[in-house]
Amino acid sequence: MGSSADTLIFLRSVRLFRNIEAPELGILADSLRERPLKRGQILMREGDTGEEMFLVRSGSLVISKAVTGRVEQVLARVGPGDFFGEMALFDRSPRSATIQADADTTLLTLDRAALTKLTEVSPRAAAAFFESLVLIFIERLRASGDLVAEVTRWGLEATGLDVESR
Amino acid sequence: MTEESSAPRRARLELVVRRDAGDENFEVRQIGSGVAFIQSRPQRLPNGSFELAEVASRVDGQHSFILKNTGTDRFLLLSEAEKFLWEQMDGHTSLQQIATAYVLRYGEFDFDIIPNLIRKLQRAQLLTMTPTSRLRQALARHRRTPVAKMAETALFALERINISSNNVQPMFNRIYRWGGFVLFTPLAALTCALLAVAGLMAGVYLWPDAERVVSGFGGHALMAVLSVKLLFLLTVGAHQLVHGLALVHYGRRVREFGFTFLHGFVPTFYVDVTDIFMGSRRARVVTAVSGALVHLVLGSGWLLVALWAPMGSFVQAFAAASGVIQLQAFVVALYPFCFIEMDGYHVLVDLLGIPTLKQDAMAYARAVIRGRLPRRFTRQEALFATYVVVSTISVAAFIAFNVWMIVHAS
Repeated sequence: MGSSADTLIFLRSVRLFRNIEAPELGILADSLRERPLKRGQILMREGDTGEEMFLVRSGSLVISKAVTGRVEQVLARVGPGDFFGEMALFDRSPRSATIQADADTTLLTLDRAALTKLTEVSPRAAAAFFESLVLIFIERLRASGDLVAEVTRWGLEATGLDVESR
Repeated sequence: MTEESSAPRRARLELVVRRDAGDENFEVRQIGSGVAFIQSRPQRLPNGSFELAEVASRVDGQHSFILKNTGTDRFLLLSEAEKFLWEQMDGHTSLQQIATAYVLRYGEFDFDIIPNLIRKLQRAQLLTMTPTSRLRQALARHRRTPVAKMAETALFALERINISSNNVQPMFNRIYRWGGFVLFTPLAALTCALLAVAGLMAGVYLWPDAERVVSGFGGHALMAVLSVKLLFLLTVGAHQLVHGLALVHYGRRVREFGFTFLHGFVPTFYVDVTDIFMGSRRARVVTAVSGALVHLVLGSGWLLVALWAPMGSFVQAFAAASGVIQLQAFVVALYPFCFIEMDGYHVLVDLLGIPTLKQDAMAYARAVIRGRLPRRFTRQEALFATYVVVSTISVAAFIAFNVWMIVHAS
């Protein structure tokens, strides 16, 4: 397990915490728990319950959504500095995708209690955190739109469907 | 920039594929849309849901096929190679395997034929084509001019007038049972021939007295012309009715019968006889010719009436004018070389076995005009050239004749 100082250095490189000052970041670092994953290990499956989000400290994971039988569609790949699982943290809904390590991976988990503590101790830091979160959400929303377009294009090309001349 | 780099990138899907559902073992596969396309297994309609009829070209020996979707009553024209591909599309054979089968069969591969055929099948493109009016195109180009705009609006309004029914088969069946069948007997053919001879003889007999005959209109020329035209319009309905009865005679279905304004200004009756494509060549020829024979019979009948009517009377003038206009309609309907796809054209293309003669001939003419002369001048190209030349001369002669008539009359 990395030291608290190492964790602090890591957090400073994470975009989500870029605008949070060192003292508040230290409070957050103390609340994080490290979770190692072996290559191929499934962290969560679509439909599982959970109330924490994850930061990728090292390694990489595949986020996928069930399509049919043994086949899932890859939604994204995440690596060091990325985060995921934040939707269940806020709305407590079942996990929307399956997440599996495709290399030996180390994660940091951030739960609701840690976030509440940050909000109480430093509303300014919490505001900075949420602002970064919203900006990243917007990027992901745009990426989702691009993915929908790409999948639609794939479907048209794969079926040879001639839409333009209809 | 190279051609490859400027080509649009094929879409890719990234998929996680597990050894078993829920298993942790997995692999990530990237599937390009192109791979998916060639591995797709197209499935044609089940047997019984389509009909296939063959059309053999008598010019170059090639075979075409008319494919009908019996569920939607839509038609497609397929080449022999396309028919071969269609037969491979059984839902088990991938496009890659179909392409291999094509190469083994024909010794070559046309990279466009499969996507083009698939597009055609998906669209279920009809063979009956709605002609695009040049007049409408010209009006659309000059839409800013108030007169053109008004004319276009008026034509559009008239064009929307369409009184038709898709449920006319029972009516045609009843008419056929109650006497329509007589029209397709040898006795009817003989009567038609005798009437034609008698009518022509009457016309020849009256011709020297044409001026006296026409004088019977007296001061009612305008009313007479209008009533002759109105009566003629009704006989166009009879023409279409006989086409429909021919379909019943050959066990095919009349899909639609109605009245509309062709191109927005030509009032006409019409009948959808496309189901006859699935009949024999004889059935198609009889269906096409039988409608036109209505004008021959009526024209001959009117000329006989004109012959027996008192010389210079209104009845004689009316009958003679009706007879002439009916015989003109007969000739126009059966004359195939005028760039218009009327009954005679359909008989010609059926006898030749080239359903798209006009379109092919026009495409050939355009290629020649643009200087893209073919390397070999085949029988088929000779036919295309002949069609274009004879049609051009015919249309020019028709215009010249009418101009001469107007000048002579004035």
